[in-house]
This record gives sequence, C-alpha cells and structure tokens, in this order.
Amino acid sequence: MVPMENYLVLSGIIFSLGVYGVLARRNAVLVLMSVELMLNAVSLNFVAFSAYLDPDKATGIIFAVFVIAVAAAEVGLALAIVIRLFRNRSTANVDEAATMRW
Amino acid sequence: MAEHAWILAAVPGIAFIVMAAFGRNLPRQGDWLAVLCATSIFALFFAVLANFLNLGDGAWPVLNSIEWTAIGDFKLNMGIAVDPITIVMLAVITTVALMVNIFSVGYMKGEPRYWWYFAVLQLFVASMLMLVLADNLLLLYVAWELVGLSSFLLIGHYWERRSAVEAAKKAFITTRVGDVGLLIGIILFWEATGTFNILEITHYVEEGAIGDTRLFVTMMFILLGAMGKSAQLPFHVWLPDAMEGPTPVSALIHAATMVVAGVYLVARMLPVFEAAGALDVVLVIGLLTALFSGVVAFAQTDIKKVLAYSTVSQLGFMFVALGAGYASAGMFHLFTHAFFKALLFLGAGSVIIGTHHHQEMGQLGGLWRKMPITAATFLIGSLALAGLFPLAGFWSKDEILHAVEGQGSFFFLLISIAAIMTAFYTARLFVRTFLGKPQDEEVASHTRETGAVMTLPLVFLAFMSIVAGFFIFHDFGSAFGFPGGFSEFVFLHYPSVFHVDWGLVGLSTALFVIGTFGGAWFYWNGRLDRSTVMAEWQPKVYEMVQRKFYFDDLYQFLIDRVVLGFSYLVSWFDRFAVNDTGVDGSATLTDYTGFLLKHLQTGRVPNYAMAIAAGVVALTLISLAVGS
Amino acid sequence: MTTEVLWWIFAVAIVAVSAGVVFARTVIHSAIFLILSLAGVGAMYLFLTIEFIALVQFLIYGGAVTVLILLALMLTRMAASGEPEPTTGVQAPFGALVVLGLMVTLIGVAVSTAWPGDLGENAVAVSIEHIGEQMFQNFGAPFMITAALLLVAFIGAIVIARQEDED
Repeated sequence: MVPMENYLVLSGIIFSLGVYGVLARRNAVLVLMSVELMLNAVSLNFVAFSAYLDPDKATGIIFAVFVIAVAAAEVGLALAIVIRLFRNRSTANVDEAATMRW
Repeated sequence: MAEHAWILAAVPGIAFIVMAAFGRNLPRQGDWLAVLCATSIFALFFAVLANFLNLGDGAWPVLNSIEWTAIGDFKLNMGIAVDPITIVMLAVITTVALMVNIFSVGYMKGEPRYWWYFAVLQLFVASMLMLVLADNLLLLYVAWELVGLSSFLLIGHYWERRSAVEAAKKAFITTRVGDVGLLIGIILFWEATGTFNILEITHYVEEGAIGDTRLFVTMMFILLGAMGKSAQLPFHVWLPDAMEGPTPVSALIHAATMVVAGVYLVARMLPVFEAAGALDVVLVIGLLTALFSGVVAFAQTDIKKVLAYSTVSQLGFMFVALGAGYASAGMFHLFTHAFFKALLFLGAGSVIIGTHHHQEMGQLGGLWRKMPITAATFLIGSLALAGLFPLAGFWSKDEILHAVEGQGSFFFLLISIAAIMTAFYTARLFVRTFLGKPQDEEVASHTRETGAVMTLPLVFLAFMSIVAGFFIFHDFGSAFGFPGGFSEFVFLHYPSVFHVDWGLVGLSTALFVIGTFGGAWFYWNGRLDRSTVMAEWQPKVYEMVQRKFYFDDLYQFLIDRVVLGFSYLVSWFDRFAVNDTGVDGSATLTDYTGFLLKHLQTGRVPNYAMAIAAGVVALTLISLAVGS
Repeated sequence: MTTEVLWWIFAVAIVAVSAGVVFARTVIHSAIFLILSLAGVGAMYLFLTIEFIALVQFLIYGGAVTVLILLALMLTRMAASGEPEPTTGVQAPFGALVVLGLMVTLIGVAVSTAWPGDLGENAVAVSIEHIGEQMFQNFGAPFMITAALLLVAFIGAIVIARQEDED
C-alpha cells in the first residue's frame, strides 16, 4: 500500500509548480490556473492527513469541501476581474497592470 | 448667616457668568444687573454683620468648611473663616463695589465693551470676596490669582490702545513675580505642617513646629506675594501704569480693595510674621515705599498718577503699621483709606468725564466753579488723605504714628516726613486741579459738572471719609453694636481702648499744616515758578524724581539685556537643536528613507507574490533552523 | 501491488501535466493540462477511498471551474488568435530559485516529520454518511456562511464583469 508521505510529497510538488506559475507567467488567466493547482495540492494534503491520521472526525475532508467551494467563488470573481481588466486595457498581461504604485 | 458668608462671593460670581454669557443682549447691556448685584451683596453684608455680632466674640472666628477632596490620608478642606479682619474687608469691598458700580454706569456710558466691563467687575468682586473669606491658603491663592486676572482684564479694557496693553501686561507679570513667591511660601507651609488652613498653620507656628530659619524663609516668600499685590518697593512699578484702566476700576481695584490684599494677608498672618521675626522687614519695606512714592508723587502731572503714587505711599503706611506689630492700626488705615482714596479716584473720574478726557494738571485748574460737587467732595477726600482733624485719615494716621512711636525715634521721624509729603502732594493736586485760573481755556469752556449717577457715590464716599474714622472710638463702635472701637474689634493679642493722645494730635496736626500749606503756597493760583526754581536748583535730582528713581529704566534694562539675552539663547537652542534637528530632522529622515524605499513598490503583482513566496520560504527555513 | 503500480503511474502523470500547465506555450494547452491535472488529483482521492471528495472534484473542478476558465480565455481572445504566449516574466529565474527552495523544504518536512497517530500504510475508508454527519453536526454554521459567500461572490462577479450601459 501507499504510505502517507507519498501523498505529501506529491502535493508539495504540485504546490511548488503552482507557485512557479504564479511567479513566472504573465497571462492573468494562467496565473489563476496556477492558483487552482496550488489549491488542489492543499486539498490533497488535507484529505491525505484526514484519511491516514484522523478518519473519525474527517475534519480534513470537510475542509477540502470548503476549499473547493471557496475556490469556485474565487475563480468566478477573479475571472470577472480579468475580463474587466482586459476590456479596459486590452491586455490580460499582469505585468502591464502596474499603476498601483508611487 | 455668618457661616454662610460664601453667598456674598457666590452672588457676583453667578452675575459674572450670566453677564459674560448674555450681557451683550440684555437691556442696557446688563448694567442694572451689576448694580443690583452690588446692592444685594451690600445688603447681604449687613445680614452677615448682624449675625456675626449677635454670635458674640466667643463664636469667632465663624468657620464653615467642606471636604473638597481626599487623596489617601490627605484631606483637603475648602471653607470660609469669618473674623473681625474679614468683616472689615467685607465692609470695604461691598461698600466701595456698590459705589463704583453705580459710578461706572455714568463713567462708562457709551464706552466699548460696556457689558464686558461690568461682567469683569463682578468677577473681580466675587474673587476678592472669596480671597478675604478663604480659610485656607490654597483657596486664597486661587482667589489671589483671580483678582490678578480681573485686574489684568480691566487695566487692558481699552486694548486698542497700546499703552493699555503694555500696562496690563506689566501689572500681570510684575505681580506674578510676587505670586510665585507666595505659592512657594504656601507649599513650604504645607510641607512643614501638612495643612493649608491658616488657623491651623498659625497654631502650629505658635507651638514652634517649624524651625526658625525655615519659618523666616517661608515668611519672606509669603511677604513677596504680599509686596507684589500691594505694590511695595520694588514691585510698585505696575500700579501707576495700571491707571490706563477705566478710572472706576482704579478706584475699586487699585486703591480700595485688590492692592490691599497684601496688607490683608500680612495682617491675617501677623502672628506668624511675629513668630518668624520678620516684622522688621515689613516695617522697613513699608517705610521705604511710603517715602519713595511720596517723593515721586511730587513730580507727577497726571492726576491719576499722583493718586496712584499716593496709594503706593499709603500702602507703605499700612505695612509700617503691620511691621510695628499693630494689626488694628494697619487694618484701620486700610479701612479709612479705602473710602477716601476711592472717593479721590472717583472724583478724578468725574473730572475726566467733566472735562472730556483731560487729566493733565497743566490743562486743568479752576474747576471749582464748573464742578462744585466734585470739587467739594474731592476737597473732603484730600483733607482726609492729608490728615485734617477730625476726618477719617487723621485718626488712622494717628494710630500709625502711635504704633511707630515704640520703634524708635528714627523711624518715627521718617514716617512723620512721609506724612508731611502726603499732605504736600495732596495740596498740590487739589490746588492745581480745582483752584486758580483755568490753565487751558479750551478745556475749561466745555467743562461741566457730571450727572447725579456719578456725584451721588462721591457724596456718599465723602460722608464715609468724614465719619469712618470715628469707629476708633469705643462709644461710636458700641452704638453700632460692635464690642467697642476699631482696635477693640480687630486686634492681635489683646484689645486696646482708644484714648485721644493730645500730644500726638498736636504733632499730627502740625504735620498736616506744614505739608498742606507748603503745597498750597508752592502752587497757589496755578503758579509754577516756585516749583520751577526748585527743579532748576537741582536739575539732576528733579530728573531723578520725575523718572521715578529709574526703577522702570532699570527693569527695562534688565529685561532687554538679561531676560531677552537669555531667551535669545533658549530660542536658538529651540530653533536649531529641537526644531531643525529633532523635529524636522526626523521628518527629513523619514522622507528620505521613503524616497529610497519607494522604488521597491513596482506596482507589479508578480513581484509582490515573489516577495511573499520568498518570505514564506525564508521564514519556514528560519523556524526550522531555530526549532532544531 | 497492482494498486501501488497504478498509484505511481498516476503520480508521475499528475506531476507531468501540472508541469505542463505552467510550462505550456499557449494558454489553451495550459487549460487542457489543468483539466487533466484536476482529474488526476480526483483519482488520488479514489486511491484514498474517499469517493465523495473525488466526485466533488470531478464535478466542480473538472466541470464548472474549467468551463469558466475556458470561457474567460475566449472572452480575452487569447485563444482565438492562437498567438503564442509572449514569454514568461522577467523574474522567472528568481521564481524558479524560490520555488526550488520551497519544494525542497516541503518534501523535506513531509518526509522527515514523525506524524502523530499515523495509521501506517493503510488509508481508512471514510463513508459518505460519516462525512455528511460530521459536516452537518459540527460544521453547520461554516456551511451556511459558505453558501452566503458563494452568493455574494457570484453577484460581485456579475457586477464587475457586465457591460456598462452607457457604452
């Protein structure tokens, strides 16, 4: 059978890839997709903990449910912002949305 | 009623609040309220007096106090103490306040800030009454500062005039020097005895609870406060300048009541002064002041200035009496002086109104025909001041001479000379103002007698100037329900029955005659040649007298060179060290740091995300490293 | 034994497609890789024998969220033009460095920590009934708050994204 550490390592790798996407890519939609990857990694982590360490309470599983729900809300809002950004500035490039500074 | 004498102070206090808030909108700007207030405290005073006399001397002093605040074991009581000295002060304050309020209705007619003038007058009366009623030094000090404040406000009433502003400032600051001394003295007393109560302090001192040196130093500080308020040398400079205020104010504050607060304080604490061995200091200061300002009064040409120096001189007489250990003599002179000096000031006010604001003696003269009532009352006041038998001033000066008799012939000689000078400058003032020919036809042509609202107070005060002296007699005092004459009512150690000492009366009359006829002879018919000869005979001396012995110049020099020099240094430190380096420096540093750091704010979201990620990694690694 | 082999195949595949999401040259490719990655994670839940979460994952992520993303891609016309993704940002090398550190840290912590109450190699099956009981007995309030949050978020999304009338 598969030990818990395998799941944790897998989740860590996915999370790190997601972070790289957020840091490196320029397309706003792609940044969002990377955030989804990170959220997924986190959910997987929670569920793995819950299944191996504390199956009676199932707290991690329930947390994963909430993460998915909140992620849905977040995606909805964030995409709306991206669309508005695109409509105003004709670009979805996060590097060009740089007016919030001195 | 006597234990509720605080009502006397409360009534004008409330009147002040009402008038300060609504005075401008009241009919006639509320002057009727002021007169009503003064009349009611005048009436209330008699209720207090009757009750006080009914209680009998077994019940004196009448005390009434409440606990004001308690901090741990320390309890602070605030209250009133009514004893004969207080009664005398109450009589003076309520009477003169009433007269001045009535007189002001005429004098201040049409002047700017009419309502405010009357409001502050009530504030003054309230705080002055609080001052004399207070049973403890702390409350006394509060009232002491409040009368100073009202004096400041009233001297500076015509603040459009620069000289008035300067005079108000001068009065405030000069007395403040003394006030700080008083405060230090009060604190020293509190530290030594743990109480502010005057009676308790006196009791402690008589038991010898305070060491000799310490007590002496404390009393010197208290005396400093008294000297500042009562314009004794070398703090006298503010009082003549205070004549910038409206004349009724000069009558009430700068002749009859506030300036005698110092005399009152010394009289109140005379047993303590005596125990401290500080009486000689009081005596010498009083004597110097009496002589000095008597001389300066010779060279003054403004009638109010003459009266001002005369007041300083008479305050010196009171100090002399107190310094000789005779509380009753000092208080008696305070009592009579209040009436005739208020009369003289109000008379001067009447002259100023009658001549349409002329108060230089060189422009007056011959007012006798034009202003008969003013002249007649002024004559009575002058004679009382000069000491004509049997007017009020005669009896009180007699008491002072009697008091000084025991201090050695040197002091007696000096005080006699001061008495002659009093008569001399008084005669000069009267002769040059009211007799002879008008010096300035222009002024004389439109001079006319003032209205009844101004002359009636003069007549009343003239009456008081005649009869007030008789209170010294046993039978006269008894007739009014007092235990006897003045010195049987107000005394320090034991009551003394007054007997006329005909030798002293003769001497006193001689002093009066010499001074008065000397003054009259010099200036009769408005001639100045005899005095000019005197002035030209010793021009240096004349200039010295005219410039008031250079006191003002000396102070001005000290302020210019020492005080301003020091403040220049302080301001330099403030500007460069505190402001530029400390305050502006930190701002500049922040500004520059911000200028450098703002480049970190790129506005690009990925940069921020990068910072967050790097931070998370760094923090995790640090916590792992620290944890292991 | 079979399960383990399958698990490893899936794990490698998930890492590969996740890498595809962030490294793909065009956004549309990234989106397709994302769908695969999400499905892979769903399969992981099946390995953990928690079918409920797996179903939620397939339905919400694999369905709704992906559709939303594709829609957004079309609206921003990146996919339509088919032009290649310009480049990664200038800070990509630094990002790679940070991410490498992060990955090492995570893996190191995951492997080296002695997890308390570890049940060994056996994941315990958690039934849907059990999850439901726990959810509605102990997490009622958060559940309702989440419902409100979703409502607010979607109203906000509509307000932000809709076309202004005055244009």
